[in-house]
Amino acid sequence: MSQDLQAVSATPGGAAGSDVDTTSLAKLIDTSTCIGCKACEAACQEWNDHPVTLAPFDGTYQSQPDLSHSFWNLIKFNETEIDGAPAWLMSKYQCMHCIDPGCLRSCPAPGAIVQHANGIVDFVPEQCIGCGYCMTGCPFDVPKFDPYTKKVYKCTLCTDRVSVGLEPACIKACPTSCLTFGARDELIQIAEERAETLREDGFQAAGVYNPAGVGGTQVLYVLRHADQPEAYGLPADPQIPWTVTLWKGPLKWLGNLVFVGGVLGAFLHYVRYGPQAEEAPEDARDGE
Amino acid sequence: MASLAATFGRGAMTNGWTDVANADVILVMGGNPAENHPVGFRFTMEAKRNRRARIVTVDPRFNRTAAVSDQYVPIRAGSDIAFLGGLLNHALANDLYHREYVASHTNATFIVGEGYGFENGLFSGWDGESETYDTSGWGYELDGDGYARVDETMEHPRSVFQLMREHYSRYTPQMVSDICGCTAEEFTRAAEVICSTGAAGRAGTILYALGWTQHSHSVQLIHTAAMLQLILGNIGMPGGGINAQRGHSNIQGATDLGAWNALPGYLKIPRAHQASLQDYIDENSPRPLRPNSMNYWSNTNRFMVSLLKAWYGDNAAAANGFGYDNLPKPDADDDYSWATIFERAYTGDLEGLVSFGMNPVAGGPNTPKMLEGLANLRWLIVAECFETETAAFWKAADAAGEYYPGARAAADIDTEVFLLPAACFAEKDGTMVNSSRWLQWKHAALDPPGDAWKDQDIIAALFLRLQELYREEGGAGADSLLNMTWDWRNPRSPDLAEVSREINGRGPDGRQISSFAELADDGSTVCGNWLYAGSFTEDGNMAARRGQEDPTGLGLYAGWAWNWPLNRRILYNRASADAEGNPWDPERAPIRWDGSTWVGDVPDYGATAAPDAFGAFIMVPEGVARLYTVDSFAEGPLPEHYEPVESPVDNLLHPEVGSNPAARTMMSAIDSLGSPEDYPYIGTTYRLTEHYHYWTKNVDGPSELQPHFFVEVPEELAAEKAIANGDTVRVWSARGEVRGQAMVTRRMRGLQVDGRTIYQVGLPIHWGFLGRVTGPLVNNLSPSVFDPNSGTPEYKGFLVNIEKIA
Amino acid sequence: MASDGRVTRFNAAERIVHWVVALAFGYAALTGLALWSPRLFWLAAVFGGGTTARAWHPWGGVVFTAALAVMFLKWARAMRIDADDRTWLARAHRYAVHDHAGLPEPGRFNAGQKALFWLQSAAAALLLASGVVLWLPESMPRALREASILIHPLAAVASIGGIILHVYMGTAAVPKALRGMIQGWVTPRWAALHHPKWYREIRK
Repeated sequence: MSQDLQAVSATPGGAAGSDVDTTSLAKLIDTSTCIGCKACEAACQEWNDHPVTLAPFDGTYQSQPDLSHSFWNLIKFNETEIDGAPAWLMSKYQCMHCIDPGCLRSCPAPGAIVQHANGIVDFVPEQCIGCGYCMTGCPFDVPKFDPYTKKVYKCTLCTDRVSVGLEPACIKACPTSCLTFGARDELIQIAEERAETLREDGFQAAGVYNPAGVGGTQVLYVLRHADQPEAYGLPADPQIPWTVTLWKGPLKWLGNLVFVGGVLGAFLHYVRYGPQAEEAPEDARDGE
Repeated sequence: MASLAATFGRGAMTNGWTDVANADVILVMGGNPAENHPVGFRFTMEAKRNRRARIVTVDPRFNRTAAVSDQYVPIRAGSDIAFLGGLLNHALANDLYHREYVASHTNATFIVGEGYGFENGLFSGWDGESETYDTSGWGYELDGDGYARVDETMEHPRSVFQLMREHYSRYTPQMVSDICGCTAEEFTRAAEVICSTGAAGRAGTILYALGWTQHSHSVQLIHTAAMLQLILGNIGMPGGGINAQRGHSNIQGATDLGAWNALPGYLKIPRAHQASLQDYIDENSPRPLRPNSMNYWSNTNRFMVSLLKAWYGDNAAAANGFGYDNLPKPDADDDYSWATIFERAYTGDLEGLVSFGMNPVAGGPNTPKMLEGLANLRWLIVAECFETETAAFWKAADAAGEYYPGARAAADIDTEVFLLPAACFAEKDGTMVNSSRWLQWKHAALDPPGDAWKDQDIIAALFLRLQELYREEGGAGADSLLNMTWDWRNPRSPDLAEVSREINGRGPDGRQISSFAELADDGSTVCGNWLYAGSFTEDGNMAARRGQEDPTGLGLYAGWAWNWPLNRRILYNRASADAEGNPWDPERAPIRWDGSTWVGDVPDYGATAAPDAFGAFIMVPEGVARLYTVDSFAEGPLPEHYEPVESPVDNLLHPEVGSNPAARTMMSAIDSLGSPEDYPYIGTTYRLTEHYHYWTKNVDGPSELQPHFFVEVPEELAAEKAIANGDTVRVWSARGEVRGQAMVTRRMRGLQVDGRTIYQVGLPIHWGFLGRVTGPLVNNLSPSVFDPNSGTPEYKGFLVNIEKIA
Repeated sequence: MASDGRVTRFNAAERIVHWVVALAFGYAALTGLALWSPRLFWLAAVFGGGTTARAWHPWGGVVFTAALAVMFLKWARAMRIDADDRTWLARAHRYAVHDHAGLPEPGRFNAGQKALFWLQSAAAALLLASGVVLWLPESMPRALREASILIHPLAAVASIGGIILHVYMGTAAVPKALRGMIQGWVTPRWAALHHPKWYREIRK
């Protein structure tokens, strides 16, 4: 295991999230100053050299109905009403880079999903076998399957840029600085302060979205209405599906017991009792 | 821009993008900066984050700016003057205006002559026959020296202040509600926030754009906003001002360098009756109206002579009026604005057209008229980086025949079209002038592809060829071309730095000047645009500077690029202090008088002139800003609410005068107007973040972000018409129609106007019959109706009907 | 019963179907085990690498379930569990230690074989249903995917567990049983010992 990785899918080593320290990086999205300009979308598409997809009209301002294997950064336009007044909640949606990533947990291919020491969760297409388990393991529905390459893709948090000291492309492009990038603990503090300001300005439910169910995320949101994250298109309490946890935990031990116990038991049975008799005695040939 | 120049003296954003971060209150109205100026909008967000500024958005649609605002007020397209008049009334009636500022820095104290009157929507002097005002009765009362009489107490019944107070007393919250369609409570809540900036320690700004300029009463509308900012004491203040966000990256530069009716630097174009240079200078050098008026336009002679020297060089001498005869001189009432150009094309009175950086078929009102007009030309030259609908107008019948049943087939069009491939912005160096009046030098990122030429190469080739033809063959007006200097080092491809140096100007010693104060009227100085003097000095190209120091902490960034005039960041900054020079807000003083000189920003004033030496507004003869304007507009001296030319309702203030009586309405056979019976809904056009005018539909990235034309339909209207989200609808007006998918939304609501529910339909522009993505041209719908002062079409607020077709 | 002293245990069609099921099962199980545990991912290399294993494993499953369906139609009637079988199953621990006293006499299939048949049939149905969901995750609803990600390995564990027992019984534990499934015949005395009721029926 490379030393700048703290977790690698289907590989012995540190468990995901076991070792995230304060050097972990994060992205802060202040939705109260996001204007839905899509500069982050354009920058993401450009930097990652994605092909152009002209999505069908879905009756909203959204560029695409959902993230796709070649569209990793999508601003969701949520038109709603809050306290009787129209509200248009825009939230940039992309990989959350969970501290405890469900995708990595559920991935069966060694090295196909890695968590870097700085916390970035990245997919390694060369190792990906295209099983799609990560799509189920992710409670945010972020990884998307490419039917052409038969592999799964998502936001890399521009690990290629970050590794040479640049900020991710979306951050670079944001005109209002509603996107910021830096040390996670510092950003959490900034986010809390911003939320406090919003509460003082009359948004009593303002808060920070950093869901505990996945050990916290390295993409943090400031929401004016943190009591209803679903209104922003964010899951209220994201958890790695219990079926994944059960499968990767107790079931694995049960299965191993069955397999090993079955083979070993059969062998020991043979040693102790030997085979059944091969044939009936001669006189039994005619039966009764 | 015509409006701001008349009010304050200069036609530009008063403050600048970076300065919005200093605001306490930001009124966004007639603009949608979050969508259309997202980069500049960062400073609004900084004001919000760092100063906890309040943002109020007033717009027909709950748009992306509204989404991050503290308050949103819906408004009927075209009723903005009523809303702003209501704000004026709110401030005046509730004593929220900045009294000392108003008395010191505006013409509120001026006494108006007895000839002024206003009744039933018309001011005195209206001539219904010519549809113009005789303005002679509106002037100030003058004393024996020719100066206006003033009443410092502003109590005189004919003081501008009292006339204004009376005029706007009709704009009560209920009247605003009845006209605009918001509730009186919504209005009052917004008014309280906005008018809170009348206090000395608070500053409020207004951000507007094409939502104000594209009305048949747009200049009056912007003047109303300027008046509001004046009575609240917000002009000249950091965090204040009235900030026009320009519709293109270099539109400010384009107007700075002239238009059909202006020479560079807003020198008026000579008219036929101004036979000599002296006639021209006499008419364009106003007399001061107060003894302390600096009256800067009295320097017209220096600016004009220096310009003529730049253009005609050695052919410009005192003896020949510095080549004044070479300039074209339209008659006094001639008009060559958009409306006239295409009216003439339509009627067959125009031979040819050169279209550079313009797409009139897409951008002009009443597209069918544009198509027919171009089909009547003998020739059309289009220089563009894409094939535009203008260059391909002859394909319209074939490519979009469903919208143009009357368009001629290509075989029936005789117009010879030349499409010259031109470089795009990234393939050229030179300056662009942004809304903040910053000249910013840019470098070419790459060479133009294929056969594309840079603009200046195309113009040089045309110029040299035409000059040669005139030299060989002669012809009418040949001297204008033959006398012109063209002494660039490479005449076929002028270096833009060289051009910039000439625009800046040089003195008698041949050295670059650093201020227009150095200009002379004797022909010893040369200057292509007096406003830009100082932009390219002996110290080099000021526009290429990238200094990021901000010693004042006010975001002035004096070392970044170069700001006209004279690198002044905040216009009228003298008004940020009282008559004695004490700043209204010591925390936010752009300039301070230290006893002998002004420090801080470049003062909009004499640098060493004592605070009481001059009025704070040096470009107008009054020396103070004009709340009341006499000779500037086609309309009256105080703005009045008029309905759009096509409106579903009567004017509640005066039903007999509905729309702007002075508006310019084209009435050719193809210019029909619709009635509310046939077209009961209001159509309004706008731009989206995802696209840039009609260009980016040719480009992959933006096309991916918004591939489809759509029609925004209020939920209640959609229910009435059985339109579901995503249904295909037809929207049609008296001019034409568009088809597209409906976006049914709660972000536009039915408005209660005069007791009726009025619906508006939202129509984003950006699509056409060519491009990576295509769609209908929305201007199929808009009318050939124009503001009489600026010539801008009324794209915001015209009548349409809508139905579901699939 | 053949005249040469051989009793036909399984005819050719039954044997072919059985071995198709067996081979497909083996392939699916081994490639499946590669994805089951990182410790067994080397199995994927044996079968052409992870991507190939992921791509072909579902097809192995399709062949397995299709052949099993044929087998099901052939044997379902014979596999019905009756009162004797229930008694046998209750006393199966005696069979395991070769104490056949009190065990009802098995017919063509003993109750253990029948139980295996039903276990494999049920597991196959679950494997197929959950397998299709896992095969095409991009077009399946999340609830189904979350359920399948657990059901598929659970069914596989049961199925593989049963097969381990089956292989042991069919090879080492019951001598010459394998010949019945390969060559198709057993001796009369073998039949008389292991499936006396069936032997009596075919002797009539």
